Amino acid sequence: MTAANQATPGAPPVRDHSASRRWVGQSIRRVEDPKFLLGRGGYIADRITPGTLHAAVLRSPFAHARIGRIDTAAALAAPGVHAVITGREAAELCDPMPDFGPDPAKHTWRCLAAEKVRYVGEGVAVVVADSRYLAEDALELIEVEYEPLPPVTDPERALAAGSPLVHEALESNCAYERSFDFGDVERDFAEADVVIRDRLRWHRSGGQPLETVGAIAEYDQGTGSFTIDTNTLSFTSYLFMAAGTLKVPVNKLDIRPVPAGGSFGSKLFANKPAVIAGMCARKTGRRVAYLEDRSDNIANCDHHGSDRVYDVELAMMRDGTMRGLKIDVVDDYGAYIQFGVGHHGNALAQVVGPYTIGSVRYRVRAALTNKNQQGAYRGFGSEVNNWMLEQMVDKAARELGLDPVAVRRMNFIRDFPHFIPTGNVYDSGDYERVLDHALELARYDHWRDEQRRLREQGRHIGIGVITAQERSVFSATEFWFWFDEPGAPVTSTPESVSLKVDATGGITAVLYSCAFWGNSPETMVAQLVAEEFDCSPYDVSIVYHGSRDGLPATGPGGSRTTVMLAGAVEGASAKIKEKARRAAAHLLEIGPDDLEWSDGGFRVRGDPERKKTLGEIAIMLHLFKHSFPEDMESGLDASKVFDHPYTTMPSADRKDLGVFYPFVGHACHVPVVEVDIETGAVTFLNYAAVHDCGTLVNPRSLAGHIVGGTAQGIGTALYEEFVYDDDGQLLSSSFMDYLIPTAMEVPELTIGHVETPSPYTPHGIKGGGEGGRMMAPAAINAAVNDALAPLGVRLTELPMTPERILAALRAAGHAG
Amino acid sequence: MKPPPFAYAAPDTVEEAVGLLTEHADAEPRVLAGGQSLIPLMNFRLAKPGYLVDLRNVAGLSGIRREGDVLVIGAMTRMAEVERSPEVAVAAPLVTEAVGLVAHVPVRNSGTVGGSLAHADPAAELPAVALALDADLVAAGPGGTRVIPAAEFFTGPYSTALAADEILTEIRLPVWPGGHAFTEFSRVHANFAVVAVAALVELDGDGDGDRIRRAALALAGVAPTPVRATAAERALAGAPADVATIRAAAAAAATSLSPAGDLHASPETRRGLARTYLRRGIELAVARARNER
Amino acid sequence: MAPDTRTISLTVNGQPHVAQVEPRRLLVDFLREDLGLPGTHIGCEHGVCGTCTVLLNGASIRSCITLAVQADGASIDTVEGLAQGGELHPLQDEFSEKQGLQCGFCTPGMLMRAREILAENPDPSPGQVREAIASNLCRCTGYQFITEAVISAAARMRASKEGVAP
Repeated sequence: MTAANQATPGAPPVRDHSASRRWVGQSIRRVEDPKFLLGRGGYIADRITPGTLHAAVLRSPFAHARIGRIDTAAALAAPGVHAVITGREAAELCDPMPDFGPDPAKHTWRCLAAEKVRYVGEGVAVVVADSRYLAEDALELIEVEYEPLPPVTDPERALAAGSPLVHEALESNCAYERSFDFGDVERDFAEADVVIRDRLRWHRSGGQPLETVGAIAEYDQGTGSFTIDTNTLSFTSYLFMAAGTLKVPVNKLDIRPVPAGGSFGSKLFANKPAVIAGMCARKTGRRVAYLEDRSDNIANCDHHGSDRVYDVELAMMRDGTMRGLKIDVVDDYGAYIQFGVGHHGNALAQVVGPYTIGSVRYRVRAALTNKNQQGAYRGFGSEVNNWMLEQMVDKAARELGLDPVAVRRMNFIRDFPHFIPTGNVYDSGDYERVLDHALELARYDHWRDEQRRLREQGRHIGIGVITAQERSVFSATEFWFWFDEPGAPVTSTPESVSLKVDATGGITAVLYSCAFWGNSPETMVAQLVAEEFDCSPYDVSIVYHGSRDGLPATGPGGSRTTVMLAGAVEGASAKIKEKARRAAAHLLEIGPDDLEWSDGGFRVRGDPERKKTLGEIAIMLHLFKHSFPEDMESGLDASKVFDHPYTTMPSADRKDLGVFYPFVGHACHVPVVEVDIETGAVTFLNYAAVHDCGTLVNPRSLAGHIVGGTAQGIGTALYEEFVYDDDGQLLSSSFMDYLIPTAMEVPELTIGHVETPSPYTPHGIKGGGEGGRMMAPAAINAAVNDALAPLGVRLTELPMTPERILAALRAAGHAG
Repeated sequence: MKPPPFAYAAPDTVEEAVGLLTEHADAEPRVLAGGQSLIPLMNFRLAKPGYLVDLRNVAGLSGIRREGDVLVIGAMTRMAEVERSPEVAVAAPLVTEAVGLVAHVPVRNSGTVGGSLAHADPAAELPAVALALDADLVAAGPGGTRVIPAAEFFTGPYSTALAADEILTEIRLPVWPGGHAFTEFSRVHANFAVVAVAALVELDGDGDGDRIRRAALALAGVAPTPVRATAAERALAGAPADVATIRAAAAAAATSLSPAGDLHASPETRRGLARTYLRRGIELAVARARNER
Repeated sequence: MAPDTRTISLTVNGQPHVAQVEPRRLLVDFLREDLGLPGTHIGCEHGVCGTCTVLLNGASIRSCITLAVQADGASIDTVEGLAQGGELHPLQDEFSEKQGLQCGFCTPGMLMRAREILAENPDPSPGQVREAIASNLCRCTGYQFITEAVISAAARMRASKEGVAP
């Protein structure tokens, strides 16, 4: 750490991290577990009370069609039916959905399609009935006149002239196009010895958690207020958008988070079920549950993952030095574009990977097609960049006759903090240490020997070594630096925690809009609070607060939760301790500066027998007002709204996007695979992964996320794809065809941890929940390509299905 | 994804069951065995029977017994029971191996042998086994019982020779005590097969110079129904049980196929998988036949 | 015009029940809503993910593709019956110890399947456990810590044969 760090403009102060910790760093059992183990998780579907009505949505069988007449008479008359709402009626009852896209008025997104359906599975009507069974019976009685239109399902064809238009008002299927230059691209390319080129294709997969999205809504006619329980994460900051959709003032909408059965991004701001349930509740005057089933969710979750075509050039010197990157990417966003091109912000946060590449040209075009729209999937678009870049590095190594590990090592960034050409910063890291540890854990030399030996037996063994970044904690600037004149250049992404110390010294932490979806926020907060107050984490009570009367909170996403909760806990704890110190000083009749915090209380410096525990201080503050001066209020509680500690503004010309994703971790994955060239099957012989996401709060928990994320990465690399045919029919519309890896597809991982603390965050924590999936697709593709290199075959399209592998082998003259 | 409404009965005898199918013919009745294929279809509302005749209480439809050279399995016998049966393992180990590949344990706990055969999924394992073994399928209808040879039983995708008012009561499998291999390619463990091969061989002679006396080869996933590779069987009969012969027979059999394509595999890939799994299956069956001597 | 119903008698977690159900009512909905046992979850409703796994006469089944009427006369075990007298079953306890759960949604089905696995084979290898739990999808954990939990629980259950019934 150099003195320059202190002078980095906009950077928070460099912290001194404690050498010893008691609770942070312990792999304790999770605080959340008991209820889930007992079958009392309290998921949304568990909260149906007697008398709750159920909604079911009628979905379009066409990818692209005008909606004509809808006859709902028979459905309305069906047993147990309370209401039928068509898309046109919904457009009167509700405003368009919250939309962060480039031009929402021109690609208007509604909770139900009104005039036109734009993808198979788009909802056109909703039925509310006594049970889901009866609601589905009634759906079959609704008659819809469709006028089919030609669909467009290929993103490049969608951008070509003469394509059918998904949104006529846009007059194009290009929702956004811009080219950015960072650094001196022309010079780096002119000076390069060689330019490596490739075309790469990453097809969409998605989170597909085992629990779908659901909401239960009530509307109070008297106050005009909605109360909605839902398993989605609603950004409290953007709650006003959801309220706007439901046409109520913000302070008449209370969204209450319930535990979610997984998300991986797909429940991020997934407001459609809440809006539909709310609309139905208001219409019927009853409590209404809308719980997606799997068919609803696969085709219509609004959270399909990135779907990209890359044309890339990597400028290199012959000795392996990387100079510059030219990236031209077309991203198939589907029929709507709710998060704009934020997925490319995630790419730009770490676009050069861990390498000292000096310049980047990034051209992005967002294509609209007749598919469900993209949303968030673990990595949020950065995992695709990792894959693309690592493919290019391996290709370069092959073309230049260099060792792929050596090429990576020689280009590693070594000095931190390091600003990459886009303006973002990598706060800390030790990439060599991660690489060396990974190669050792992977027994890399042994497996290279094995590869040689087994190749002589005619087997096709491959080893992938990839080194890539895992950014964490996004800033709001990445929502709008796409535009020179953004409509809303917002700069807030806070997270809040309230701590309350009761009269016995017990601590309750309140979380706002910070849902549970497998990410253990209770355990994180409990460990952080325990660290501050020397209590047991299991003695900390955690409350999830609804949105309406809650403090500002952005919620999970971009691996921000642990860092931001840590900052909020730190801030609230400091306030608690400050008041407790003053109170203790009064009780001990000594100056506040003569006290030091130790072992659960304040003691007199140099006279440790004179002390007051937090509990002793708290009971006095709660019940013995007259022991304290007039200006000291009763009670012992404090809140902290923790804002993003490190955000800087983009330059006006957008050649520098500023710092927007500063806490950047790093990982190395080394899978060993065998490819059966007769069947296209890929099996794992070994898999080692080393991650560095700074200080770990609960190492076991993070390891679990690495394995789980890697499993999803295996799915993305080999099995999972939302396959649309030329008519826009979704062929993988159930789990029979959308293939989620089982325990037999996921190998046992050998996991290593390296901890290079962030200089800027509490305890040096960085976010790491997405990392496994941000690495695995790149690593597995690298391994497969290594296996097939002797046959002259290289895969550049994910997922690497048996079909694609066999087709590549056939094309190279090897009978499949 | 809730099933549509239907009328329902759980009769106690085959006669009652057949009677209900006849009586309610207008309601598009269907038989409920284990439900592992039917109920998902109903949850998707792709199948909407107006009447469901549940065979769970019908006496005499379950059980495994040996009758001389024939292994008899009741139609309602759960696949898990077949999988664990020592009698089946001795008389027709091909069946044991194939059943173990049908989905997962929970599905086999409920799913029945008769249900799988009557459902006639073109990629299913048991129809291919029935075909390879030249099984006889016994059906009961209003006119009494009849025997339908496996070669005539499967008429198209999800379609059999059973009349709407007939139920399968038992499957009669000629024993084939060894020289078996059931192999399949699925994309994810225990998922449905893309291509599956049932291979049976009998060897003549001892040691490396042995020949194949007879072979029976059936494939699933390559046609609207399971198919026998009869040309390959003829080529193998009397031929040396060596790598080259097996490879040639497998290749020839695959070339004659015209499989359909889907999102998992193109026709060309299916042909290639058929060739690969025929070769691997016959090789494994031969190796086992040798080991069993 | 009330729908046609049938009377079913069954035992659930040792408790006898008699109920009227529509023939089309799925067993998972009957357990969750009619019997107030929401521990068994719905993941796919077409019999692939295994989230809805319960035991019927000791054998695992997928309750989303089983009609309630098909459980007439049967003995059903759900996750709610695992813990006895306020004490977690070794499987539950080891799932927590090894962090074999994250979101918890697949967990009840996984626990019931694990019970069956260990009843059939009290001393499985990690490979055998992995193959056996392939019947149940988990989207969070990647299966590694689940496998470790089942192995640990198996050891505990072998060690205390007179303890909690498997």
